[in-house]
Formats: sequence, C-alpha cells, structure tokens
Amino acid sequence: MRSSYLPWSIAAIALLFPAWWIAYRYTTFIVNPIEVAAVLPAFLAEWETWANIAITVVRVALGLAGGVVLGVVIAFTMNQSELGRSIFSVYVTIALRTPSAIAAILALAIFKRSELGYVAVVIFITFPFMTIGLLDGLKAAHHDLDEMAQIYRLGTWRHIRHVLIPFLAPFLFSGFRNAYALAWKVIVVAEIFGAATEGFGAEFNHAWQYFLMTDVHLWLLVFVALVLFFEYGVMRVIERRVFRWRDSGRR
Amino acid sequence: MTPKGSSLMPDSAPFVLDIEDLSVSYGAAEQLAIERIDLSVAKGEFVAIVGPSGCGKSTMLNVLSGLMAPTRGRVDVDGAPLYGAGAKAPHLGYVFQSHRLLPWRTVRQNLELVLSASDVPPDRWDANIDRILDILHIPQFKDTWPMRLSGGQRQRVSIARALLVEPSYILMDEPLSTLDEVTARTMRQELTAIWQRTGSTIIFVTHSIREAVYLADRIIILTRGPASVVDDVRVPIARPRAYEDPQISEVEAGIVERVLDEWGLARTEAEAGA
Repeated sequence: MRSSYLPWSIAAIALLFPAWWIAYRYTTFIVNPIEVAAVLPAFLAEWETWANIAITVVRVALGLAGGVVLGVVIAFTMNQSELGRSIFSVYVTIALRTPSAIAAILALAIFKRSELGYVAVVIFITFPFMTIGLLDGLKAAHHDLDEMAQIYRLGTWRHIRHVLIPFLAPFLFSGFRNAYALAWKVIVVAEIFGAATEGFGAEFNHAWQYFLMTDVHLWLLVFVALVLFFEYGVMRVIERRVFRWRDSGRR
Repeated sequence: MTPKGSSLMPDSAPFVLDIEDLSVSYGAAEQLAIERIDLSVAKGEFVAIVGPSGCGKSTMLNVLSGLMAPTRGRVDVDGAPLYGAGAKAPHLGYVFQSHRLLPWRTVRQNLELVLSASDVPPDRWDANIDRILDILHIPQFKDTWPMRLSGGQRQRVSIARALLVEPSYILMDEPLSTLDEVTARTMRQELTAIWQRTGSTIIFVTHSIREAVYLADRIIILTRGPASVVDDVRVPIARPRAYEDPQISEVEAGIVERVLDEWGLARTEAEAGA
C-alpha cells in the first residue's frame, strides 16, 4: 500500500466503530463497544488468549504451506501432461466446489479430530486456488524470455530462479491471496465443527454457547485484528517488495 | 557472410562463422525453410541480411544462435561445430526485436545475470558493466528498472548485454524496427560507432535495404523462401556515412532493382498499375 493511501485505510477501519455503535443502539445482542474496549486490555493480558491465537495461526500456517506445495505440484503436473490434467482436474473441481463445513466434518472424521485434521481441511480447501492461479501463469508464459535465457546460457537453475519464478510470481500471489483468505474462514469452521478445545474457533464457539456476548465480541475483534495484521503487515509488505519493479513503471 | 571461396573475403581474416550446405526443413511434410546456404563471416565484419517477410531469416537466426539444429549441413563457430558431435556452445550476443530484458531486474541486475552465466568472476562485474554502459552512453541508468526506460534506452541496454559476454558474434534481429524514426537514426549512428570501437562481429537482420546499406560492410540478399542467397553485395561506401548520402541511395536503388523480381515486387507493382 502506498503511504498516500494509508490515511484512507485507517479511516475505513475507524468507520467500523460508529457502525458497531449504531448496531449496538438498534439491535439486541450487540454489546456496547465501550464495554468491550474496557475489558480488552485484561483479555489481551491473559496468556490463554495468545495461546489460543497461536494454535489457530499454526494450523493456518501449516495448512497453507501444505496447500501451496500440493497446489504447485499439481499445477506443474497438469501443465506437463495430458494424463495429469485429466486426473487432477477432477480433484481440483471437487475441492473447489466442496462447502467448507462438509470438508471440515469429513477431515475431522477421517483424522479423528487430531491436529492433522485441522491442517488437512486447510490444505484441501486451499490447494485448488494455488493450482488454478499457477496454471493460468504457466499458460500465459511466452517463450521470448526462455529463448533469451537459452541464448545467454543461463542454465536451468538461473532460468528457474531469475526468469520463471519472477514471471509466475503475480499468478502465485493471486492464488495465494485467495487461498490465504479462505484458510482463515475454513479453520474457524473446522474448529467449531470439530469441537476443538483450543484455538480461536473453539473459544468463539464456547463464548457463543454460553452466551458470553462480550467474549464473542472480543474474539471477533482479535480475528479482525489478526486478518488485518497479516494483510497489511505481512502480505502487502512482501508484495510491495517482490513487485517493486511494477510500481516503477507507474511513477 | 560470404559464399565459399568468394573473393570478397580478405585472405588474412579468420572466419568466426562458417556455414556449409545449410538446409532446414519443418514438420512431417519437411517444408523447406532454408536451402543449401554456404557462407562465412570474418572476425570484425558487419554483415546485414535482408529478405522479404517470411523468407526464413528468423529460422536462420535460430540456427546461428544455437536454438535449432539444421536438417543438413554444418555450422562452425570459431572453428568448432555448433551442432552434432564435438559441439561446443559459444558465447553469443543477441539483440532481439523487442529488448527482452527481465523487467523485475534493474539494468545492472540484467547485465550481472549474463555475466554470471558467462563465468566472469564477480569482482570484475562492476568494471565490465561500467565500461559497457559508458560505451552505450547510459551509465546513469545502471540502477534503473527497464520499465522506466524509453524504447531506445532499452535497446541500448540490450546491446550492452550482447557486448558484455564478449561474444564470438552478435546477432541482431531487426533491433531498430520498433523504434521511432528519430531514435532509430540516432541508434544507427551509435551502433556504427560501437561496432568500430569494440571490433565486434555483427550479423544484422533487417527488412530495410537502406538501413542495411548504411550500417553494413556486406549485404546478404536472401530469396523469398525457402531462404537461399541471391547475392552478396559489398557496400563500397567509406565511413563515416550519412543516412541521406546520395551514394547510399544509389546502392539501395541497385539492390532494390536486383530484388524486385526475386521478391515478387515487380509483379505486384505491375498489378497495382493495371
């Protein structure tokens, strides 16, 4: 994000608070934001809060890593062979169309609610986005730069590292962005459906079951903060660094 | 390039490129793209190849750049075969019609990449890059992204990349055809100056006969296709040359006259007149 647009992004976040206030005034179950703000420091000071956040983050990270690796391998396989394309396009289509809740239930049933189940759900839901994104890139690849690499004898490793990967990077990022967004959604569903005892979804579900509405709001706040942190603090920083050459053309 | 045994070649000049009985055909139907070409290029020569669109110039460049093995014949670079048994991949420079710089690498990084592939020790990269960018008059763009450069500047970087690897010869595939005329004129002058300063061997493909006459020592005229050599013309004009020099127009007119029938242009004009 360019610094000139930062105030607008901050304003967009700030706008959520009056919206929350209006919702509180005119609905039944929305808690007063001031009440939530009052207990927020104590909530954040608790060790359990961070432990639960960490558990969910680790599940998302492992699942995403698996989804990326699997998605990339399948994309290259589908690009290289007709047989691979015929086989894997079926799985990709199934994974793309399967509702998150059903994927969660199945994975947790198969893995008997173990940690692997949560990771498997994220892998299953995210890999097709990587595959489709990367396949688009591989289809778009033109051979001009490959020819240049061959004439200047760059060799396989330099070709992959300096020509192929940078060319595919926008497609990988696009796929990863979709996968990453869905990973956060599906992990919460999996933690709720899997009756997890730890993690964000478990805490949220627990608060909701006992109608602890302040806690529900606190966990929602944490979720929003996490998503925004990863988006603006990690994803966009990496994106800006990787694609800084594209910005140079706009100045 | 000179047909074998041509009197055009100075006796003492060693051949950088030696082509014998070169033919290339495509596909199952074995459609002929190049037919039995015998040519040689001497070290330091500036040779232009002209031919109509689709005559097989690109196929010829693919063969000379090591990308496509010929169906028949032999291509030797610096005395070593480019294809077949005992083949040795030579250092070649290539200036493409479009610059083909990596947009995600700065000018310096683009140049460093070919240096690293040419096994030049890293401690010499900076000096080599500075020297070549000075020759091309673009030292100020060393740390610039290609997207920030104009078309002419990008082609200069592309030429710098070709020179940097100390190639046996440089292939140029209509490198000025995408530039506006004013930039192209400047580039032609600079290209001549660079060639004279570096003593490189250049094989320059163009569809502009005037450009070929202005730039080259010799012009190889190809048939309409499959490509074979119609004529090998030595340009009898002293350097430095001016683009509007009447002598250039004279040589150009002579070549045009020579190729009208060969390229099917005379028939087309007659039809247009009718």
